[in-house]
Amino acid sequence: MFRNSALKKLGLGCLHAVNLACFLHLFKENVGSPCLTYGPSMLPTFESTGEVAIESIISHRLAPQSLARGELISLKSPINPNRIICKRVIGLPGDTICVDPTGLKASTTEHVSIPKGHIWIAGDNTSCSTDSRDYGPVSVALIRGRIVARVRCFR
Amino acid sequence: MIARLRYHFSRTHRLTLPRSYASDVPSLKRPSMLKRAFHVLYWLPLATAFTHYFYTIKTVRGRSMQPTLNPDTSALDDIVVFDRFTVISGRPIEKGDIVSLRDPIHDKMIVKRVIAISGDVVKTLPPYPAAEVLVPEGHIWVEGDEPFRTLDSNKFGPVPLALVDAKLSYIIWPLDRIGPLRPPAIPVTTMGIPRNSQWHSELAAFERARKRQARVTKNQNLVNYEERGAV
Repeated sequence: MFRNSALKKLGLGCLHAVNLACFLHLFKENVGSPCLTYGPSMLPTFESTGEVAIESIISHRLAPQSLARGELISLKSPINPNRIICKRVIGLPGDTICVDPTGLKASTTEHVSIPKGHIWIAGDNTSCSTDSRDYGPVSVALIRGRIVARVRCFR
Repeated sequence: MIARLRYHFSRTHRLTLPRSYASDVPSLKRPSMLKRAFHVLYWLPLATAFTHYFYTIKTVRGRSMQPTLNPDTSALDDIVVFDRFTVISGRPIEKGDIVSLRDPIHDKMIVKRVIAISGDVVKTLPPYPAAEVLVPEGHIWVEGDEPFRTLDSNKFGPVPLALVDAKLSYIIWPLDRIGPLRPPAIPVTTMGIPRNSQWHSELAAFERARKRQARVTKNQNLVNYEERGAV
């Protein structure tokens, strides 16, 4: 009945492939997936040369209130919207935080109170990290998900 | 052969066949409800991805963008098309655009106008503590068009660009205002055509835009975090 049935089959196959790609991408963006972390800012926890971590996005979507101090989170960078960063939660809304206990970027006596709907984040490697010490408290709306596990690589 | 053709016709034109023909063709049954639901579910990722990354239709509630959106107190809200592709593809957001963004304090979406982009100095309005503020790198300054009924940057300060969700591109619901959102310009006056209310509202929109721009001055002395070598 259709003369170009081979062409039609090919087109339909492509559509199925795109559909599958969309599904995988939406799963990655809304449920969670392994992701590659690199950079020296989280140094004792994650290697600077690159390591695979499991990012769980759905746990933050379902229970955003259960965020606790000390948890690792992934969030969109407040200074560069195309970049995703991984930091540790230091302070929650209402806390009073010492801006920099190490005295590298601010004096050790400077304290700040975190406003509603914001958190204080910091990298584990304080000497080489751009975090709340530079740009202040960040909005909770920037958080993407939590880092729940690390994939151990045997080398 | 005739049964085949009739079968095909029935599939395309949704006819019911008499039983005598139905018995000739084995797979004549209409797809069941379950199968149809499965088809919808199967193609859902494609549709969802389209609304996530290209265009989406939404209703704008609230009076903070008066008189651009929801200008009257009618029961029906404006329905608009949001363009997510512009934001995701990394095209820069410009002054005067109307964007939807996530509220940095409360967990909801808001629709505001971009007043200044990173590197600009803005003269703030009353609730903000400082008289002038420099919008930092990667941030924008947003305000509602109605200064008395809005919760905007004058309350919560500059917002990170990462919170911007989409750019408003088209109004579809109130049919008298249907069309793409244009930057305000001085309305044309032609001989013989009297100036009606639309002419006056367009001129008022242009005046407001000029007033907004008068509060913003450009200044490029920004601290660049990336250049300092920190990650």
